[in-house]
Amino acid sequence: MTPPLPPDVLARIADLELVARIVVDGLVSGLHRSPFHGYSAEFSQYRHYLPGDDLKYVDWKLVARTDRVYTKQFRETTNMSAAIVLDASASMAFPAAVPKLRYGVIVAAALAHLIVGQGDSVGFSGGPSFIPHRAGRAHLRRVLSALSALESGGTWNGAASVRRAADRLSRRGLLIVISDFYDDEEGMLGELRRAARTGHEIVLFQILSRDELELPYQHDLEFTDLETGARLAMNAGAARRGYKEAVAAFLEGMRGRSLAEGFQYSLVLTDTPPDRALRQFLLARRR
Amino acid sequence: MVWLNPAVLFLLATAAAPILIHLLVQRRAEPFAFPTLRFLRPTRLAAMRRRVLDDLPLLFVRCAILAAAAAALAGPLIVTSGRRAAWNRRVVRAVVADAEGGAARGLAAGVFRAQEFSGPSLRDGVRRAIAWLEKAPPGRRELVVVSRFPVGALAAVDLAAVPRDVAIRLERNGTLPLSRSVPFGRVVSSTGTIDRGLTLDGASTIVREHAGEPSSDVWPVEVVAASDAKTIVDAAIDAVRAGRVWAASPDRRARLIVLDGAAVGVPADATPVSVPWMADAIARIAGDADVQMAARRVVKSQTEREPAGGRLPSGPWLPVARASDGTPIVAAAASAGRLAVVTSVPASKVAMPILLRAVVNALADVPDLQHAEVAAIPDADLRAWSRPAVSPPATPLRNVDADDRRWLWGASLLLLALEAWMRRAKRRGASLEGGEVQHVA
Repeated sequence: MTPPLPPDVLARIADLELVARIVVDGLVSGLHRSPFHGYSAEFSQYRHYLPGDDLKYVDWKLVARTDRVYTKQFRETTNMSAAIVLDASASMAFPAAVPKLRYGVIVAAALAHLIVGQGDSVGFSGGPSFIPHRAGRAHLRRVLSALSALESGGTWNGAASVRRAADRLSRRGLLIVISDFYDDEEGMLGELRRAARTGHEIVLFQILSRDELELPYQHDLEFTDLETGARLAMNAGAARRGYKEAVAAFLEGMRGRSLAEGFQYSLVLTDTPPDRALRQFLLARRR
Repeated sequence: MVWLNPAVLFLLATAAAPILIHLLVQRRAEPFAFPTLRFLRPTRLAAMRRRVLDDLPLLFVRCAILAAAAAALAGPLIVTSGRRAAWNRRVVRAVVADAEGGAARGLAAGVFRAQEFSGPSLRDGVRRAIAWLEKAPPGRRELVVVSRFPVGALAAVDLAAVPRDVAIRLERNGTLPLSRSVPFGRVVSSTGTIDRGLTLDGASTIVREHAGEPSSDVWPVEVVAASDAKTIVDAAIDAVRAGRVWAASPDRRARLIVLDGAAVGVPADATPVSVPWMADAIARIAGDADVQMAARRVVKSQTEREPAGGRLPSGPWLPVARASDGTPIVAAAASAGRLAVVTSVPASKVAMPILLRAVVNALADVPDLQHAEVAAIPDADLRAWSRPAVSPPATPLRNVDADDRRWLWGASLLLLALEAWMRRAKRRGASLEGGEVQHVA
């Protein structure tokens, strides 16, 4: 298996479809079972067994007849709809090397590619764009195009975005929210709770950079809030301890409340290869 | 430890410059865009840290660089016993010889530093030798005078100016002749010129005179005065010639101008004196005690009246004699290759022949008989003036040829290298840390 491409390399690739394919190709090797439930499949063809294939798809009768091991392949048919909600607020522009927004776009593109690849429908909501869920390659390209055009700026009304996406999911579906969750997390969690009660499955990706976790600066800095423009001058080294404690408490609160509500929560750092982050998420999902 | 240039030690105050700069310069926090401020707790620490010395090692190194450089400029000298012994082992010798004493060869050999001063005058040689010894590096300093020591060539007062730690050796290198005959100049008298000769024979002196060759150009001063004063001027010239004055060489001539209102004025072509013999002549006139005394008497007798010739001109004219109230009454300048002397004293006054005699004598070269002397300074005097060498004094230690400043310069360079390394390391650390700062800010 080739090592995953680092995030800064992926972030520089302009063709988002290519990026999504790279991520998904690295993701699905050895991950043979669809991570998403709620689909039916009809038989398509046989192929030679490969180590790692699920043994339940081995056609034993054929083994008995031919002394060769074949597994059955199915053409999947969709009955699941998913909506991806991506935070494109100004805070997602940090850090400059691999902005959280770009990382989120890659993750969203990979998930959309994955979902459409198994025949399900996907919708997207982020910034000014809203695309209702549909299936098919053409629709995937439309979603990827919207993702590519996304730019960070302003604040994010997470509650409204979640409500609109959840309302447009026609039946019980999958609602994926990608954000740093700095904006009005209370209101958004309330909307997520409401969506969960209507039968939607909620998946949260909290994307942060390592610098936000550790505040690794030493000198006097005049911090400027990317969203509000508020300023605060202080010595970063002196403020680090309190900052890390506050961030840890915030993340622990997010994780605890998500688990309590039955959401699937993943904290992803931008220095983690996206396919590795998604793989961990999908493996956790299988369990 | 001794400082060779202690006045430079005030530069040590510059060592505080980095601290002052550090304290005075208001550092502004770098702007840094960040996703959210919700986890940052406002603290006064940042403001307080600006007034606290941070980066102390780098600050200390910078202060040390300046202190070491200032100390090096001040010329530190550690006077160790070994260094003092080395100074005692070496000799710095100034050898003075007169023109007749011959070269003092051999005296300069085998010593640390030596310099020979020869010339017609031992006095002048001793003065130059003292100046050279004052600039010589530490060592046992010696002044050696080699001469036949005729009377008057050197006196105790000449050697009194020699620093106390300088040894004095007076070496007689021959004997003077028993008698000597030398020409003794030419004088002008009422009858013409007289050539004189001198014979020095032990303690006796014999002057011989014989008439000189007749010449119409022997009188060196032209007197310019009003026509009604001609008789008085001629009488004054006769009086001066009758009293005998030194004859001047044909290229040294003067004009004495007696100012008299509109009748006799100041020459228009007067220029400042630039010829050496004219400058010497003016100095001699100004130093003539008779002229100065006569000038004061003239003013007293005139009881505050304006001098007959009016005020003396200024510009190129150099005052030579002043009245008791400070008013110049005799001044001199150059005019058409001659020395021009103007006076506001009336020709009828007694000061006139005194001033005329002073001008004539000032133009002549008075013969110097020092080189003709046949009597020698007694050996007892030479022994009394001599003294042995002493060790170099603890202070002052001027002109040290090898002090200890090189160590401080070396330390400065090492500290500079250390400072550069610390600065680079700090910058590298800042760039690793501030890389994000730059991109985001």
